[in-house]
Amino acid sequence: MVFATHDGALPDAGRTLLHWLAGWWRIVHLGALVLVLAASPGSYTRARRAALARHVVESTAPALPWFGVLSALLSLVVIRIVLVTAVSYGLSQYALEMMVRVLVLELIPLAAALFGALRCTMPHGADIAALRAASGEGDSIPVLRGEVLPRVLAGVFAVLMLAAVSCVLTLVLAYLSVYGFTLAGWAGYTHTVGHVFGPAVSLIFVLKIVFFSIAVTLIPIASVLDDRPRAATRMSAEMQGLVRMFIVIFLIEAASLAGNYA
Amino acid sequence: MVRETADADAPSAHMEFKAAVLLGLLVLLVAATAAYLMYARGVFEATQRLVLVADEAEGVRVGTDLTFSGFPIGRVRAIELGPQGNARIVVDVPRKDAHWLRESSVFTLVRSVLGGTSLRAYSGVLTDPPLPEGAERKVLIGDTGAELQRVVTAAREVLQNLAALTAPESALGASLANLQATTERLRGPRGALGVLMGSDQDAARVATTLERTNALLARIDGVVRRADEQVFGRDGVVRDTRAAVQQLNALLADARATLQKADAVLQEVQGVAANARVATTDLGALRAEVDASLRKVQQLVDEVNRKWPFARERELKLP
Repeated sequence: MVFATHDGALPDAGRTLLHWLAGWWRIVHLGALVLVLAASPGSYTRARRAALARHVVESTAPALPWFGVLSALLSLVVIRIVLVTAVSYGLSQYALEMMVRVLVLELIPLAAALFGALRCTMPHGADIAALRAASGEGDSIPVLRGEVLPRVLAGVFAVLMLAAVSCVLTLVLAYLSVYGFTLAGWAGYTHTVGHVFGPAVSLIFVLKIVFFSIAVTLIPIASVLDDRPRAATRMSAEMQGLVRMFIVIFLIEAASLAGNYA
Repeated sequence: MVRETADADAPSAHMEFKAAVLLGLLVLLVAATAAYLMYARGVFEATQRLVLVADEAEGVRVGTDLTFSGFPIGRVRAIELGPQGNARIVVDVPRKDAHWLRESSVFTLVRSVLGGTSLRAYSGVLTDPPLPEGAERKVLIGDTGAELQRVVTAAREVLQNLAALTAPESALGASLANLQATTERLRGPRGALGVLMGSDQDAARVATTLERTNALLARIDGVVRRADEQVFGRDGVVRDTRAAVQQLNALLADARATLQKADAVLQEVQGVAANARVATTDLGALRAEVDASLRKVQQLVDEVNRKWPFARERELKLP
């Protein structure tokens, strides 16, 4: 009996691992399919273009003001903390560079990705799950092209838009916090920003935002499209997607940190 | 059916317009940011190359600023190993800032404890010729860390010397022990005299000498007092001397009067002498006249004698 339990436990662990790996493979597969469909002209017929436009507007426009306000508040708090701390230690010359590095390079893209996931891409996953439940269709090409592709593209666009707007907003707020309403600090500020955004850092920054947007968009949808039995796990598909999304975000962030500072 | 399609198309076109606006906004933001970053990196600026040669370029990174008077005027573009094994730091200096660098400019690489490494340029003579394109200059390295190490080494040596000085068997310790013994002897019965003389016998001898000196001084005092009486007393030498001096003064006055009389006599004698001189002069003339008269008389006698040869006495007697 004891041996039987051990014999049964090992295949269970193997099955779980295989299931886990298959889930990742499904995400990669879906990503490849979506990429091919996105590159295909047939995905942009008039009707589909209209659906895409609707998804883009519905995903981005309502989230933009809220996220703008939230990121401005977060930026102001962090800028103030960094500025006051740097001045108190007599290191004010490094304050601006630290703000740009901490906020624009690290926090704002992460916040944009998480906000985009919560506000837009996870609801998209729920929509897809509801559609599948209603129609009973699997992940056929028409479904992917008609329902999944617009939502994925809209999610990617929303995250990119949120990140771009909030980064620019943060750069402006950092300038105003340090120099006030004057153009006197423009040369020094430009020099500092140019110093931070070297070619390697800029490339890593762009890649990070793009990968963030793809990860937070694809993973929730891929999780709900996974129609295999999940008796071995008590987690729902959405929860599994969330965990996977956080793992991927964490890995991307770690890779970007290693690229920038290691 | 047609109306439904038109109704469906209107919101669709509206959405497409909004989506296009959003897309345009994103493209605009990304393009503007990219352009700003390129401008900030100096992509649109004409630059001139400057090569700084250093023994080693530790701490210098691509992107490190070259500052002049605290203002960044250049940026490290590359760091490479030179043919002599030294580091060649290639710096891009914008043309608009290149006039701050002259032939006589000095470049330093300063490593501070906090804040990393910085490259600095100093131009003492701004009228010198400007630095040419691709110029190579040696970098003076000032290393705060190395200075700190040197200071720590020096401080350690000082501390070692101090420890050697203050050790129990050191010269300073022995001196202090001697000083302590000396102060104890100073507080002793013989005091500073015992310290100075070294032994108690000598100190006692000095004390005896002092006592005898005191007695001698007392006797000298008596002698001086007696001498004082003899010299300055009522019948002292000084009083007698004063009377003698007064008598001498009287004698001198008499002598002065006598001399005045002698002076008058002398004046009279001078008058007599003058008269005698005049008389002597007259006597000379008289003598000449007498001589002349005698010669005439002689001639006359001779004449008479010639004429009167019988004259018995030819000798003429003068009256």
